[in-house]
Amino acid sequence: MGCCYSFCKEDSGPQSGEVNERTHLLVDPVSNNTNIPRVHSDDYVNQYASSAPKKTDEQSALNRILHETAANVIDVGALDSHNLEQHEYMDRSRAYSKRIEAGGIKVPDSTSCLLKDVPAPEKILATEPLSAGDHELITKMLNKAVTALEDVNVEHKEDLVVPFLS
Amino acid sequence: MEKNLEKTLDDINNTEGIIGCILADHAGLCLGAKGNASTDSAGIIAAIADQVTKLEPKSPPPVISLQNDSRKCLIQRQGAVVGAIYKDISM
Repeated sequence: MGCCYSFCKEDSGPQSGEVNERTHLLVDPVSNNTNIPRVHSDDYVNQYASSAPKKTDEQSALNRILHETAANVIDVGALDSHNLEQHEYMDRSRAYSKRIEAGGIKVPDSTSCLLKDVPAPEKILATEPLSAGDHELITKMLNKAVTALEDVNVEHKEDLVVPFLS
Repeated sequence: MEKNLEKTLDDINNTEGIIGCILADHAGLCLGAKGNASTDSAGIIAAIADQVTKLEPKSPPPVISLQNDSRKCLIQRQGAVVGAIYKDISM
């Protein structure tokens, strides 16, 4: 009880300015320094509580970005990637042709194209390379032609300047 | 003058299996044509040779061989001259 009293007394002690046997010799720096905010532990909770919604906002924004990105990305690897069988190609080609006919769309002819699709490219790609005979033939012809062309020059046959009045 | 050029073309044209030959200058203008070769194709032949050379510019001038079931056309550029030989391969 006495202890309690003494503490109560202590609070008012320094404020009253009386110096007695119970007066602190050293000044309590915390109680005197009013600049330092004495934050209660509840305040910390409140501070965190106020910052917590901010954090979830950020989190939800990130989640939203993630979802939006996921919606915009086409993951080719995850798509149905089973190889089409030959008959499936035929079926689809028939179905598409029917649709085009039904729609009355005229597909432009590609006859103007110089290069054409070849049915079995491996056959053409596996053909024999240029034979040595052919190579020799054209090289010889061109060698001769180049030499022959060097011989081509203007032959002087008659005077270019001709007197009209003679 | 151009006798040697004519002779070269004649010699080639008289070779067995060859049905025509043509020579063009660097600009694709016809220098001479013998046999079954049109002078009109000189420019096209020169253009083909130039385009194919662009595939591998550092390699020596390529010999281009165009072929169908019955005929073959060989094209090459050498210096300022582009030559083409038409061969019959149906035999």
